[in-house]
Amino acid sequence: MTDESTWIIQAQQGDEEAFTNLVETYQKPVYNLCYRMLGEAEAAEDAAQETFLKVYQNLARYDRERSFATWLLSIAAHYCIDRLRRRRFSSISIDEDEEGQTDIPDRSAPDPESETAKRQERERLSNCLQSLDPTDRAAVILRYWQDCSEVEIAQALKLTVPAVKSRLHRARRALADLWEDKPAHVRTERKPYGSPAF
Amino acid sequence: MDHRPFEDWLLDNQPLNHNQKRQLNTHLQTCSSCTAIAEVNLALKSAKLAAPAAGFSNRFQVRLAARKQELRRRNFWGFSLLSVSALGVLGWVSWPVLKGLVQSPVNMLASSVSSLVSFWASLQAIFRAGMVLFKVAPGFVPTYIWAVILFAAGAWSLVWVVSLVKLTKVPQGVKS
Repeated sequence: MTDESTWIIQAQQGDEEAFTNLVETYQKPVYNLCYRMLGEAEAAEDAAQETFLKVYQNLARYDRERSFATWLLSIAAHYCIDRLRRRRFSSISIDEDEEGQTDIPDRSAPDPESETAKRQERERLSNCLQSLDPTDRAAVILRYWQDCSEVEIAQALKLTVPAVKSRLHRARRALADLWEDKPAHVRTERKPYGSPAF
Repeated sequence: MDHRPFEDWLLDNQPLNHNQKRQLNTHLQTCSSCTAIAEVNLALKSAKLAAPAAGFSNRFQVRLAARKQELRRRNFWGFSLLSVSALGVLGWVSWPVLKGLVQSPVNMLASSVSSLVSFWASLQAIFRAGMVLFKVAPGFVPTYIWAVILFAAGAWSLVWVVSLVKLTKVPQGVKS
């Protein structure tokens, strides 16, 4: 039996120290998911904390046959999706991007210029991400940041595997169009087969 | 070669063989749209995890303790309100009995007999009214109304049973 399984069983029996171990193990992936979903450090901290509270309250319902990480990330993703839907009409500030939160330092960073370029690219990617539909965004984050398989994403977001594939396909298309700074109406169009432009 | 397969390779993130990679690289030199997809894929693959500020689990402990305290406070006020309400209802219901206790035994007996007689008379009156209604109503109410009433009662019972079954189901992951 792994440490994680032991902690889960102990936490289900009311052992708070075991639950703290789970929080320490999963704080980074949960925070990262919330941060990439919500785009703000403060909101991400709050969402991550609320996710762990929900997990604490519902731990008795957790099915040990399932992956704990997938279950946990599923709760975090749905919490963020709900939150984004609630604040759909209010604007989100992306400019404060890195303030109040820290990316894991890149030890292989060769020089400050390259670091600045990477930082700009991260900000650009973050801006593009914020324009996606919340569920598509969650699928992209789970795929690339959490390294989840399409099956795990489907379980986490309560979708079918073909739906996940379709959402990832659509999201990559939308991100590429945003990356190119295309106007919104062009984004939705599918390139005709064998376009003369190419 | 057409643009479409390259775009699909990139959008579906398909694994490519050596020859396909070479063809894609050649295509990327002339196609800005596919280059954007490739750049996004690369940026996504090299993206790093954002970490919370130090002391996350300590802040969680504080929040958990605050939430528990809030829950305890809410439970306390809920229980207090329920107790006061229950006492109020109990006082209101038992008031005639309590009043009787301070009267003389003869008066208490008389009032008890009187209450019993009046209760019995009320029951009889209700029963008689019910019997009259039972005999008279079928003549006034059309058959289809009875059908609707019976159907509604059946549907209501079904909803009731389904709700009970759902509410009493053991939650997932909890050993019974």
